[in-house]
Amino acid sequence: MRHDQPQLIDALASEYVLGTLRGAARRRFERWQSAEWHVATRVRAWEGRLMPLALGLAPIAPSPGVWERIEERIRSADAPPAPAGRRARARPALRALAAVLVLCAIFAGAYVAWRMTEPLHLQTVATIKGAQGPVVWSIQLDSRREHLRAVALAGAAARPGHSFELWALPPGKAAPVSLGVLPDAGELERTLTDAQRAALASAAQVAVSLEPPGGSTTGAPTGPVLFVAPLNRA
Amino acid sequence: MSNSDAANSLDDELAQLVQACAARDRQALRRIYDLMAAQMLASLVRILKRRALAEEALQDVFVSIWQRAAQFDGTRGSARIWLLAIARHRAIDVLRSERVDLYREADVEQMAEPAMEGAGDWSSAGRSAAALARCFAELSGEQRRGIELAFVNGYSHADIARVTGEPLGTIKSWIRRGLASLRQCLER
Repeated sequence: MRHDQPQLIDALASEYVLGTLRGAARRRFERWQSAEWHVATRVRAWEGRLMPLALGLAPIAPSPGVWERIEERIRSADAPPAPAGRRARARPALRALAAVLVLCAIFAGAYVAWRMTEPLHLQTVATIKGAQGPVVWSIQLDSRREHLRAVALAGAAARPGHSFELWALPPGKAAPVSLGVLPDAGELERTLTDAQRAALASAAQVAVSLEPPGGSTTGAPTGPVLFVAPLNRA
Repeated sequence: MSNSDAANSLDDELAQLVQACAARDRQALRRIYDLMAAQMLASLVRILKRRALAEEALQDVFVSIWQRAAQFDGTRGSARIWLLAIARHRAIDVLRSERVDLYREADVEQMAEPAMEGAGDWSSAGRSAAALARCFAELSGEQRRGIELAFVNGYSHADIARVTGEPLGTIKSWIRRGLASLRQCLER
């Protein structure tokens, strides 16, 4: 299955929201949408389109006691070391065994499902964010590492009169190699040059600097480095 | 205040409440419960058929809202839709694990009932609901029925095939075409 076709992504997103995407395909799609911003966007659009259908049903007041059980659960979930509360004390060995078995089954299932599909065409290789703030950009590469896509996310904010530029940081004392300017909003896709591909192949990190509009003219970062993020090689 | 203003102000309130949950404000979660639990339970009961199972799922939904509140991004969509989506996805996960047998548990009366109890209720959800109602009316009867059974009742393609007596491939194509037409209509 090809995963880089907008129409296919949209069709999967619509059936996911509708509820007819089931089983392993549903779980695979859930992992995919939490990893890829552009997939999550399609899901949100379909939720916006279809969710009013759920509002046509006459409301049903929950039984008394449901809220108290919710409160109890969030209290025990928030309590620092988990084994507090009645639920957790009940037959701990059995619960642990069940949890291990469930996890094994999930991982085995996920692994088989994963192996049955081709690798995704665009993979997130770096997530750029501040120490606490929301993610600013997601950096994605195709499986052959020829195309780069940068997606501006919740934390992105334009700085008038400046551009943000992405750099590959090769190990040792080698100079950073520019991977081009980043979008202030939306996404940008570009084909990488051989030099950029080589720099990415050896780099363990990427950085973002603040530059004049259109990016540095010297081939090296000229403004402050605002972010450094690890480069995921998976 | 028009219906769509009412929907917007409910959305604004819910967005603030979800943000307050992210800051560990339990009163905010209680207020979301007061505003949304009955609407969510209606969906959960319709999909899961058994009230006890639906109320258990409702607990899971609120624990999940509490845990995921920090992930909500108000700039990227409505809080009400975000909350309803959590409930629906939970219902489908429970369906998978409980193997709810629709044909043993659903009473015939409920299945015969139209999925939507009138467009009047939708209008309280604002403009997006009015647009959906208009576009829904443009679908063929089969497309509408397929989408309703899937979305409102939580039926799989195979469930719908059994209920309607049509072949599985026909059901898939009703739904696929219905969704494509809906999208086209809503984007006009």
